[in-house]
Amino acid sequence: MNRTTLKIAGESGMGLLSVGRIVAKVLKHMGFYVYSDREYPSLIKGGHSNLQIDFGLKPIRSLSREVDLVIALDRAGLVEYLEVIKKGGILVHGYERAHLIKGLKEKAKSRNVTLVYLPAHSMARKLGGTDVMVNMVLLGMMWKILGLELGPLEAAIKKQFASKPVLLKIDLKCVRAGYEASEIKAVKPYKLKLPVKKPKTLLLDGNMGIALGAIEAGVRTYFQYPMSPSSSILMYLANFSHDTRMLVRQVEDEITAAEMSLGAMFVGSRSFTATSGGGYDLMTETVSLAGMTETPWVCVLCQRPGPATGLPTWTAQGDLNMAIHSSHGEFPRLVLAASDPSSCYELIQHALNYAEEFQIPVILLSEKNICEAQAMVEPFKAKIPIKRGLVTGKALEDLKPADRFKITKDGVSLRWLPGSSSTGYFGNGDEHKEDGTLTERGEEVVPMFDKRMRKLETLKKALPDPKIYGVKSDADISFIGWGSSKPVMLDTIEEMRAQGKKVNYLHYEYLWPLKEKAAEQFFKTNKNVHILEGNYQGQLANLIESATGLKFKGKYLKYNGRGFFLEDMMDYINKHS
Amino acid sequence: MIEDYKKLAELKKEYLAYEGSEVITWCSGCGNYGIQKAIERAVVLEGYKPKDVLFCYDIGCHGNGSDKMGKTEVYTLHGLHGRVLPVAAGAAVSNPNVKVIAAGGDGGTMSEGINHLVHTIRNDYPMIFILHNNENYGLTTGQASSTTRRGLAMNGSPDGVMMEPLNCSEFALNLGASFVARVYSGDVKHMTKVLRAALNHKGFAFVEVMQVCPTYNKATPVEWYEERSAPLKSTPKTRSDALKAARDMEKNMKLGVLYQDKKTVNFLDRLVNRKDVKSVPVDEVKRFNISELIKRFM
Repeated sequence: MNRTTLKIAGESGMGLLSVGRIVAKVLKHMGFYVYSDREYPSLIKGGHSNLQIDFGLKPIRSLSREVDLVIALDRAGLVEYLEVIKKGGILVHGYERAHLIKGLKEKAKSRNVTLVYLPAHSMARKLGGTDVMVNMVLLGMMWKILGLELGPLEAAIKKQFASKPVLLKIDLKCVRAGYEASEIKAVKPYKLKLPVKKPKTLLLDGNMGIALGAIEAGVRTYFQYPMSPSSSILMYLANFSHDTRMLVRQVEDEITAAEMSLGAMFVGSRSFTATSGGGYDLMTETVSLAGMTETPWVCVLCQRPGPATGLPTWTAQGDLNMAIHSSHGEFPRLVLAASDPSSCYELIQHALNYAEEFQIPVILLSEKNICEAQAMVEPFKAKIPIKRGLVTGKALEDLKPADRFKITKDGVSLRWLPGSSSTGYFGNGDEHKEDGTLTERGEEVVPMFDKRMRKLETLKKALPDPKIYGVKSDADISFIGWGSSKPVMLDTIEEMRAQGKKVNYLHYEYLWPLKEKAAEQFFKTNKNVHILEGNYQGQLANLIESATGLKFKGKYLKYNGRGFFLEDMMDYINKHS
Repeated sequence: MIEDYKKLAELKKEYLAYEGSEVITWCSGCGNYGIQKAIERAVVLEGYKPKDVLFCYDIGCHGNGSDKMGKTEVYTLHGLHGRVLPVAAGAAVSNPNVKVIAAGGDGGTMSEGINHLVHTIRNDYPMIFILHNNENYGLTTGQASSTTRRGLAMNGSPDGVMMEPLNCSEFALNLGASFVARVYSGDVKHMTKVLRAALNHKGFAFVEVMQVCPTYNKATPVEWYEERSAPLKSTPKTRSDALKAARDMEKNMKLGVLYQDKKTVNFLDRLVNRKDVKSVPVDEVKRFNISELIKRFM
């Protein structure tokens, strides 16, 4: 594998995140490809967490399971990660009583891992720093081991802490002390091949992709109730709100967020909301109302493992069934899934367009590791036009109330905004006639129901087909998946190609209405098709199997809260092909 | 009041635009007829064209008014039980050029969606809310609500309601509402007057209508209200005076605007980032250039 993997581990609140951000940024500016994610418990301070950075000379889209170098800021970091260090790897730590940990030395020796102790606490204190600055000392040491020059790192630290000049001075001293520490003699520094050119890229997380896409798409009102891992969408939009003048509000609960967003869309602002599974549960009656009143509505559903509170700060693909089947009654909806910051940025714009053009609720799925991982993507190029499907201009003068829910062939009727025409209409949550007025007559109910449901067929035809990555056909092994299955598959396909194995992957970006023909075709041209999903049941697999009668050869299902690791995929492939 | 009738006669065309279907879905003698009339008169007298108003209804007997408001020009949204406040607030802040008039019952407002009432008051969203308080769940055939009087035997509570009822106007006043009024469904003229004041309020206008329910609420019929309710001579000056006026629901029920803070700074005017913005969100939907925002990720 052509990448270097670092893990920085310690107690939450020890400054892991700032160190991780600095390292990822410096590596990016040096021209490396970087991917970084954080594992942490649902606590603000205390509890153990770690931040992993994979970097190399080629695009990196997923984390590897095993790491080259671990920097442990605390005891847990020292004990927990010995197992994930590659043979011949290095563990640098600042834990004074490491010699008291039973079997540590022997374990390290058996795995051929070099343990390096740096008295980082006393070094930091001697330089006038606090315990938090242990991270800077160890960072300096890490940088030395990586064989990289100190200059760019120092420059990045200066930039990051520019607002705190007193602490910055001590930070810089600590980094240098770590870099120059004599303990380095125990290890041989890496000789990394340095990038010759700097690729033009963006480094950001998926929730930032959502925020930027939404801003670009003309969202003007945003309502959310915080819930991990969706909360940073609220933070990003709020922090941008002086530039954008967007109305951004944290409201009293998810029901309110959903309803305010619906009200905003009804009168014609662009709006959306975001939440995670439990919050979405509360929104479901509103989804149903959007379906019945044919009001555009968009929710970003950032998945984490359930049921109930589950693993609040970990990742999953467990809510596909919910996104498709939630809410009472039957009505058309669109479910789509992002897989990286670029697709977050693009799909939120498409979600808003589809919602408005088809007058339906749209659920855009994301996952904790997409929401929060810092991924490197190409600069955003897609210029997605805003499509609102609204009656405008002179046509507003020739409307009848019955145009609003007119029974049409494709199921889509005219929509105009309250106040824009002197012809009004009735957005009715009760079953209704073409002008929205109530009916309970069976012979009027059925054509209106049919009209709404016809939108699903019209939508299905309008949606892009799933895409194949890797060889087009006759692969040794094939996968179908959605969401974060894509980035790991892209990395896997490249790694396996180097090993002489033909792998391909069919990615479902648009999940509902299901384009089952693409799966049928994929099964026809590939003999060994497996599913890759982050849930227990194989939710997409079940959808495809029940729609087509096909059977997957195998199911790679992961539901331990962790994302898909590259080595796991490679092991699975070697076992099944 | 004669003035009002004259003016309504002049505005016949405008008035008729709000006149809706004649389908009867309310009981004979229901308070909703009077409330509907008062709303129509108030908006016409205040000069609102149908296209400049959005009526939002909750679920309950009052919600059946959604079918009766206007035939071709009126915009209406009939949503979910207990959720009318947030959906109406979302509309109101997104397009303040359209006057949002929302209505809910005592079930949806004081039980199912009481959290929304608390926060709608806190936020002082620019909209009117008409609480139809008939002290029971009419549409589901007469169960007790949180405003049903103690001791009354109701559908589902045959031994009588065990708890004291909530006092809605007092509740709103205690939460700091910038406009609180209490009216009676049998007095269309007075209701019209109070609703006109509500239409001119800058923030959230909370109007509690004491509504007769001839079918399920036998405890407080028309005569009951006539014997013990009377319009206030003037609006109390302070919130504590207003609270005193709002408290008595038994012997001497005060009707009228109980409290108004005319200087209230409503939700929209509190938004720091939109201080000097003249447009409204619905008119701002267009591509936003993110090239400056994206620089920090390069």
